[in-house]
Amino acid sequence: MIGPPMAETVPAVEIRNLVKDFKTSFRRQPLRAVDGVSIRIEPGEVYGLIGPNGSGKSTTMKALLGLVAPTAGACAIFGKDSLKVDSRDDVGFLPENPYFYKHLSGAETLRFYGKLCGLGGRCLQERVDELLALVDLEAARDRRLGGYSKGMLQRIGLAQALIQEPRLVILDEPTAGVDPVGSRQIRDLIFKLRERGITVFLCSHLLEQVQEVCDQVGIIFQGRMIREGRLDDLIAIEDQTEIVLRDASPGLISQITALVENTPGTTLVRTGKPRTTLERLFLREIRAEER
Amino acid sequence: MSTSAHSPRQGSHCGRILVIAVHAFTQLARMKVFYFLAIFAVLAIVSNFLDWSQLAGPEAVGVNVLRTIKSTSFGAMHLFSVVLSVVATALLLPKDAEDRTLYTILAKPVPRIDYLVGKLAGVLLLVFVSLVLMDVLMTVVLQIRTMMVAAEQETMAAAMGYTPEAIASLRADTLANGSSWALQGAVFAVFLRASIMASLALLVSTFSSSTLFTTMVSFVVYFIGHFQADARDFYLQAGQAGQGGLERAITLLVALVLPDFQLFNVIDAVIEGQALPVRMLGQLTLLGLFYAVVFTLASWFIFSDKEF
Ligand SMILES: Nc1ncnc2c1ncn2[C@@H]1O[C@H](COP(=O)(O)OP(=O)(O)OP(=O)(O)O)[C@@H](O)[C@H]1O
Ligand SMILES: [Mg+2]
Repeated sequence: MIGPPMAETVPAVEIRNLVKDFKTSFRRQPLRAVDGVSIRIEPGEVYGLIGPNGSGKSTTMKALLGLVAPTAGACAIFGKDSLKVDSRDDVGFLPENPYFYKHLSGAETLRFYGKLCGLGGRCLQERVDELLALVDLEAARDRRLGGYSKGMLQRIGLAQALIQEPRLVILDEPTAGVDPVGSRQIRDLIFKLRERGITVFLCSHLLEQVQEVCDQVGIIFQGRMIREGRLDDLIAIEDQTEIVLRDASPGLISQITALVENTPGTTLVRTGKPRTTLERLFLREIRAEER
Repeated sequence: MSTSAHSPRQGSHCGRILVIAVHAFTQLARMKVFYFLAIFAVLAIVSNFLDWSQLAGPEAVGVNVLRTIKSTSFGAMHLFSVVLSVVATALLLPKDAEDRTLYTILAKPVPRIDYLVGKLAGVLLLVFVSLVLMDVLMTVVLQIRTMMVAAEQETMAAAMGYTPEAIASLRADTLANGSSWALQGAVFAVFLRASIMASLALLVSTFSSSTLFTTMVSFVVYFIGHFQADARDFYLQAGQAGQGGLERAITLLVALVLPDFQLFNVIDAVIEGQALPVRMLGQLTLLGLFYAVVFTLASWFIFSDKEF
């Protein structure tokens, strides 16, 4: 079935003035975990929510999935209210530190979640095989999850979130506890999802990765959204320009420096060698060892 | 992207409940609960050799041995079914919440009532399968033993000079103490009692935060349920004698909320060799259904607003 053309104009995620209080104890006043957050994610976008520990990222996601009821405000997924069950037809969720039934094997886990979504038969079997290949767990498909490592659990969790081919995927720290190679695989997977037009809503403490994959970024602090917008707009330093040269002679550098000094209104901020990131260094060394 | 993703969801309530029930069943089965059946088998066979010492007369021999087998088996079934339904139900919900597997399930299009009913059905399926296995074992042991006893009695009675009519009636008595439909009905009554306990534990576990608390509360209710009929009679009589209507209201309320487990005393009567009237069994079935439905709806009421 081809979706009605209307569907494309409905935002994938719409959170309006979400407030969430948690009761702490009877006497003390409630703890405000989320305070007036509004997020709108258009279909096909990758949205990254970043913020320090305890700033309300997970709570926002749980409210979006109807796992907690908002104190005020409302959430909707593709126009369907989060408190209704049918809003979860088209969404996959990977919770933080996922933990699944230890007594099931990888393939059984995926089959279980697939059946919960109403899949079955050949279609489900093919989907399970496809997803196990996607997250690189074919070798461990018949091993019980009790024996999986943290990174493997994270990947089976990701596969589980994708089981019914949802149009929206919500990932709560998808790379927590995963080694750099694995986290790069997860990043590539998010790219693949984006290519297929799947909307992704993620939160992570790995800012570098957020920067790489996200179109939109929101920064949340103590339950409030303090900055939000297109990533490119947010991180560009408007009044600076970068020139990166390869094999430049010291003479050329001094010529450029002199030229800049003679131009009124322009100042040279710094010259030097660009540094690679630790992440890239780590990956390069690992790859070199593997060869 | 692929268009198949947006085909309407085929999942039905029944489908999802079945998936969750089968899953809960496997989960419990992989916790090795069926090892209990080995203990049961030993009990059923050992009970064969109990009470075999005094050979007072042909009548006593038959009745005693067969009753021992039945009461030992039913005792084990009773214990197993009630303990399993309470502990397993009390275990499953908090475990899911603690391990956060509940997030992943409720984040799928799964209504919370489906989840609850599925878990309950899984526990009941396990209890049912175990009871069937125990029943089969008991029936086989009982059948063999009945035949042996009947043959033994016949030779003994013949040696003691009984008339053929007396021997025939003795044989009929013995067979009545063997396996019967009433006995199967009694096993079903054991299952009904277990299902009331399981749904009670489900209700308690939706608002308690620990398995221990749920288990304790459920067993307290279980014991009160055994005494409540006495208490009710006592208070109602007292009320007629002029006491305040408040106690009466309270006891009536208690009687409505807490199941009256004394109704299940018919099981003991069946062990004694009496028949189980169909009307009685129907009444117990209704009672079981009533409490299972009421407790499950109450659990849903609490669980639907619960946050994790
Ligand atoms: N169930 C709960 N009961 C009480 N307080 C809660 C509950 N869940 C979250 N909180 C509180 O709400 C605040 C926000 O928590 P949340 O888990 O959303 O943070 P987070 O941004 O995801 O943090 P992290 O980066 O550590 O995962 C915290 O102060 C936390 O203590
Ligand atoms: Mg979090």
